[in-house]
Amino acid sequence: MTHTQKRVITSSIVMALSTLSAVIGIGFLLWILSILIINGVDALSTTIFLEEGAPPGNENGGLKHALIGQLMLVGYASVFGVPLGILAGTYLSEYGLKSKLSEIIRDISDIMMSAPSIVIGAFVYAIVVAPSGQFSGWAGSIALMIIMLPIILRTTDDMLQLVPSTLREAAFALGAPKYKVIIQVVYRGAKAGILTGVLLGVARVAGETAPLLFTSFNDNFLNTDMSQPMASLTVTMYNYATSPYEDWQKLGWAAAFILSMFILTLNVLGRLFLLKRKGK
Amino acid sequence: MNSLIDKVFANTTKLIAISVLLLVAWIFGVLFEHSLKSIEAFGFSFLTETKWAPNLEKFGALPAIYGSVVSTFLAMILAVPIAIGVAIFLSEIAHAKIKTPIGVSIELLAAIPSVIYGMWGLFYFVPIIRDIFGGVGISMLTAGVVLSIMILPFMAAVTRDAMNTTPDILKESAYALGGTKWDIIKDIIIPYAKAGIIGSFILALGRAIGETMAVTFVMGNVHKISTDLTQPATSIPVTLANEFAEADTELYFSSLFELSLLLLIISFTIISIAKFYFLRRKRIGQ
Amino acid sequence: MATIVDIKEEKALEVKNFEFTYAGADEPNIKKLTMPIAKHNITALIGPSGCGKTTLLRSFNRMHDLYPANRYSGEIIFKDRNILTKNEDLIKLRTQIGMIFQKPTAFPMSIFDNVAYGLRLQGVKNKTELQGRVKKALQDAAIWQEVKDRLGHDANGLSGGQQQRLCIARAIAVEPEVLLFDEPTSALDPISTAGIEELIVGLKERVSIIIVTHNMQQAARVSDYTGFMYLGELVELGRTEELFVTPKERLTEEYITGKFG
Repeated sequence: MTHTQKRVITSSIVMALSTLSAVIGIGFLLWILSILIINGVDALSTTIFLEEGAPPGNENGGLKHALIGQLMLVGYASVFGVPLGILAGTYLSEYGLKSKLSEIIRDISDIMMSAPSIVIGAFVYAIVVAPSGQFSGWAGSIALMIIMLPIILRTTDDMLQLVPSTLREAAFALGAPKYKVIIQVVYRGAKAGILTGVLLGVARVAGETAPLLFTSFNDNFLNTDMSQPMASLTVTMYNYATSPYEDWQKLGWAAAFILSMFILTLNVLGRLFLLKRKGK
Repeated sequence: MNSLIDKVFANTTKLIAISVLLLVAWIFGVLFEHSLKSIEAFGFSFLTETKWAPNLEKFGALPAIYGSVVSTFLAMILAVPIAIGVAIFLSEIAHAKIKTPIGVSIELLAAIPSVIYGMWGLFYFVPIIRDIFGGVGISMLTAGVVLSIMILPFMAAVTRDAMNTTPDILKESAYALGGTKWDIIKDIIIPYAKAGIIGSFILALGRAIGETMAVTFVMGNVHKISTDLTQPATSIPVTLANEFAEADTELYFSSLFELSLLLLIISFTIISIAKFYFLRRKRIGQ
Repeated sequence: MATIVDIKEEKALEVKNFEFTYAGADEPNIKKLTMPIAKHNITALIGPSGCGKTTLLRSFNRMHDLYPANRYSGEIIFKDRNILTKNEDLIKLRTQIGMIFQKPTAFPMSIFDNVAYGLRLQGVKNKTELQGRVKKALQDAAIWQEVKDRLGHDANGLSGGQQQRLCIARAIAVEPEVLLFDEPTSALDPISTAGIEELIVGLKERVSIIIVTHNMQQAARVSDYTGFMYLGELVELGRTEELFVTPKERLTEEYITGKFG
């Protein structure tokens, strides 16, 4: 066999192995996805949206408490996290573009985006739950907000930098003050990108479980008082799935399905906005 | 008037940006402060002591550290070759028509919450491990496998991105000398994208070691060091997830805070190595 | 129909009724093109952007096959066979027909390993032989003096002009019969360009050369034959000194006098 023949054969073998590993990897992921869909769809019913949690064995248990809790936790986290993140990102891109300070903030934010979220839970436990003496919706929202902040900050920073400087210059040339240039020209130019960042940030925290375990804790019934422990889809999913009761486990799959669809929708929307931006 | 608003706006954004830094410092500070009791009580032996017995007020983190290291190591061993395979498939083999849909699906799978991977592990993978190895099926091995599947989409996507940074013209030059696909991958793409690929792996490692929900379901939270991978075990995040809400003494809490601090430091270090050493973001203007 | 000068020399390549359509395109990029390439001569391909000259060049070593769904028909005859057939051994073809790109493409390895790369692919393992052939190639590419003391250094440390000569050394090390140059000086300064041009002219004793260039002066300086392409067709192929002085086609004249392009 010549050297070249050997190379050709080696290459074919490696390519076959790569394809095989791709098939294995993608196969596992499809397996998980199909299980999620089959179990999730199977467990879906209108009761789930209309009823609160019930003791095991009770046919009428639902997820209304967790759905509303989830929306409130993520909602409040976004109400504070999104504007703060956008404003901080604005500073990095528009005021401190090349400064040392901005570079440090970028680096730390990048690291925080991959930092373990359970540690944020421990931190919020220390500053909110322990002093107030109880788990609360607020504590959960604060934890989610801390996780969301660096994501929004970095995408805003990146997206604002993509706005051509000629656009800013044109606005300045008309005599507009800087804050107006930013709000009326730069934000508008980066609208789709910022929105993508927000959607991805919200999607990311919506799937967080670990930081809620000992901040918002859980509640098997509907509670809309943010100063009390609050149910979330993720923690409910965890508690139900690890329970020995089949009907609770089933509700756990329903929660997993609803949450995944919500998160995938946000991700797809985010990508579409970005595509639209590129298309222009 | 405008100049006043300008100043207020500028300073507000600056203040918020700086507060992000302060927040991180605050996190470290608070965790350290709450760890003090445990640090005073156990000192360095916290890291080397194997006994974790809340009822005796004895807290040694070694089993959790061991579990974090071993489960992450297992996950990496399993995920790295598959991720490389998927990345090669996506960047060099797949036809353009399936490249994008598969690539996007993998990126979307990376967004699926880790708690769902954990649930899948508990209901579908634990029985398999139980059938093969006996016992309860909840084990270090199970945790490693579930963790590897959880980080696979992220790892494959970033590895592919790193490989895609190799300029086409460089690849074409090697093909023009009579290279095969594999020649081009091992001689051109991997050397060219080495830093990015290694950086992606380390970043995935950083994520895996701090991952809680994918492993909490399937690891067992047993503070025991065993070389038998089919035995239940624990890791730092698993211990935190299981015990934080139940801790009842100050020393217990403090030990859990010390574990949190430890985890944060480990993750920070690993992610920093990945980011600063391998994935240096291009500075603006360069 | 194109005006094609009668070529006295032996032919290195012959393109016959070649048609090429890019993946997803409706219109062919090259239309029924026929063109002889003289052996041991330099043939320049000129024409406005999009005329198909680079597409044609990349067809000689089947570079288009790296990307799926490109369509082509017709024949390219090389060494008495049509190289556009399915069973053509592309690896062998590419060692016989080398290519230099529009930007220097030093591989991420040492200077020595860059030049030895093609040889190693062919299975040359003997150290003395490798060293001898690498040295010879570097000498032929007129870069030996500059790099002989740092053969182990990363090739990316060289200047652009040096890197391009290194790429030429890498290509000639495997002793091809044809060399394709795709705008080889477009990323270089005038002094490096002059060096590369001189080198190309010196190489024609050993290899047949086809060079795509957007620079008409360059074509006039280096080539023996020039082909002018427009909208995927060969308009005129002539001896360079005749084509630039007394073009036969009006379109050629308009292009070389700068009326369009």
